[in-house]
Amino acid sequence: MSGPARSGSSSLRRVLLVWLLLPLIGLVPLTALLVYGLALRPALDALDHALTDTAVALAQIIVIDQGRATLPLSEQTARALRADLIDETAFAVGDPQGRPLGGNAALLALAPSVPAGQWQFFDATLEGRPVHAAAHGHPCGEPAQICTIVVAETLGKQAAAKRAALLGALVGAAAIALPLVGLATFAVGRALRPLRRAAADVESLTPQRLEPVDARGVPREIAAFVHALNGLLARLRLAASAQRAFVSDAAHQLRTPLAVMRVEAAEALTAHHAPEVHASLERLHAAAERGSHLAQQLLTLARAEGMSLDPSMPMRPLDLESLAASVANRWLQPSLDAGQDLGFDLEPAPIDGYATLLEELLGNLIHNAIEYAGAGTRVTVRTRSTAGRAVLSVEDDGPGVDAQEVDELWQRFRRGRDARGSGSGLGLAIVADIARLHGATATLGPGESGRGLRVSVSFALAGTGDRRAS
Amino acid sequence: MHILLVEDDEPLALSLASAMRTRGWRADVSGRGEPVAASLLKDDYDALVLDIGLPGIDGLETLRRIRAQGSFLPVLMLTARDTVEDRVTGLEDGADDYLVKPFAISELLARIRALVRRHEFRRGESIALAALRFDAGARRAYIGERPIRLSARECIVLQYLLLKTGQIVPRDQFAALIPGWDAATSDNALELLMSRLRAKIEPGGVRLRTVRGLGYLLEPIAPA
Repeated sequence: MSGPARSGSSSLRRVLLVWLLLPLIGLVPLTALLVYGLALRPALDALDHALTDTAVALAQIIVIDQGRATLPLSEQTARALRADLIDETAFAVGDPQGRPLGGNAALLALAPSVPAGQWQFFDATLEGRPVHAAAHGHPCGEPAQICTIVVAETLGKQAAAKRAALLGALVGAAAIALPLVGLATFAVGRALRPLRRAAADVESLTPQRLEPVDARGVPREIAAFVHALNGLLARLRLAASAQRAFVSDAAHQLRTPLAVMRVEAAEALTAHHAPEVHASLERLHAAAERGSHLAQQLLTLARAEGMSLDPSMPMRPLDLESLAASVANRWLQPSLDAGQDLGFDLEPAPIDGYATLLEELLGNLIHNAIEYAGAGTRVTVRTRSTAGRAVLSVEDDGPGVDAQEVDELWQRFRRGRDARGSGSGLGLAIVADIARLHGATATLGPGESGRGLRVSVSFALAGTGDRRAS
Repeated sequence: MHILLVEDDEPLALSLASAMRTRGWRADVSGRGEPVAASLLKDDYDALVLDIGLPGIDGLETLRRIRAQGSFLPVLMLTARDTVEDRVTGLEDGADDYLVKPFAISELLARIRALVRRHEFRRGESIALAALRFDAGARRAYIGERPIRLSARECIVLQYLLLKTGQIVPRDQFAALIPGWDAATSDNALELLMSRLRAKIEPGGVRLRTVRGLGYLLEPIAPA
């Protein structure tokens, strides 16, 4: 079965997946962004708090003496205030006039002026490195005087916090998105599976086998379609069986008048008759023979199709050896009349099959040899069992058929290009039909000596598996 | 030869009756099965040719009735259907042979002759084929009035072949037939016996054919 959805046609599966998964593509990044923001904010706040703590500690050290602010900061205290495991920190304190009282003068120069009691956080570059800093306006001395305290640190902890938040967001998004995608794909596949199974069932139908599609387990929406399809199949079956019945009936009806024609033509030929009507009588006789054979073949075709559909007529064990021996009587005389030497080379070859159809198959092969091999040829019917196969073949040492005609020969109503006989060409088509019904393979090629024609039909030996053709 | 032909298709019945009469046989025709049982009591027939598809009671029912009244007359069934069921039913119900339409007239006549011959043989009468005649009781064979000398084995084989005239007799059936022979007896020995027999009987207007790979067939040289 080729792909159910070709370009240009819509796929139910694709539509479902697009509508289920398209929202995910928008929503998952949005969710991730939200998670990232929510996780990062407290971490950054905590870092800012650490900066303000240092600034508050510095403010405690500022001393106002006679209206002048000083920062009596020992080297030890300064080191303690700068201590940090990850980042490098710096601080600076400026007097109301902006002169540095202590710490890093370059940092003080970066600080904005901040009103008293206020905080301002900013990012800057200190000595060539990016830093995050907090600036604080600290009232010192006279009411209007403001000292500036600045504390800065490099971005190590901040970057770590961002990485952690990002990781959290990504893991969270994946934890939502992956199961959703998986579940959606699975659910769509599962919901559509009955449809695929029904499609495969329909695909396996042949004109000879129009069984209803199994509607069990098919969802309601599809079941309606399957029921409609089964209704159509039932009507088709009815039409096909009516047609088979018609062909079979017509062939049966033909038999009695054909019998009269055969008898009368044969009798007229043997009775005294005017020489000028002799050719006409011979043609009449030949036409009656051909019509009889054709009616028989049509019946066989109709019956082969009917049997393959009728479960009340199972195949039975039989031996091709005795089957071949049993048709010998019927075909010996026609073969002798055609000036041929019909012989048999039979070994046991047990199979399961329909005896009447197989007799017809063999009869058609022998008839074919009678028609096409010509007078003076040897025709040999052979049965063998080798390597798990039971093979029935009919071989002649006549002119044979060239390779390009082989395929054509199998076609219904086709005849060899130099056909001489009275065959309608139905013969090999019937052989092919009956072989297919038995799950056998028919091949056509030159005879053993490289001359003539050999048609072989290879069956599974009895008891070696399913022989019923699908 | 006196034949009762039961066939409802008038043209076919007339054709067959005329073909039989051409050969000097007597043929009575009936289009229905009901009067057959009475006809058999009234007239002495050699064989009954009975179509299966008859109006009223069909051929199979007709056959059951005449067998029920104790008639052993040889019966050849004609059928337009050739499914397994028809064959089996017909032969189980006491038909001796059957023929599927459309058949060749020569085939029909040969089958009737074979049936009658077998029937006569069962009654201990002699069997004849062309100029060849075999006296079953005395186990002697003649061509015309001239007796031919046959060995005991040749006698058995000829008798069997005469019973099966027109049919191929598989080789292994002869092995079972001849005392002291079995499946191991070579085909060559049988072929030797057959060629000796062939030389003795073929002057009587019969042909003893070897069917390659299968067996032997005895037939009149000019059938029908």
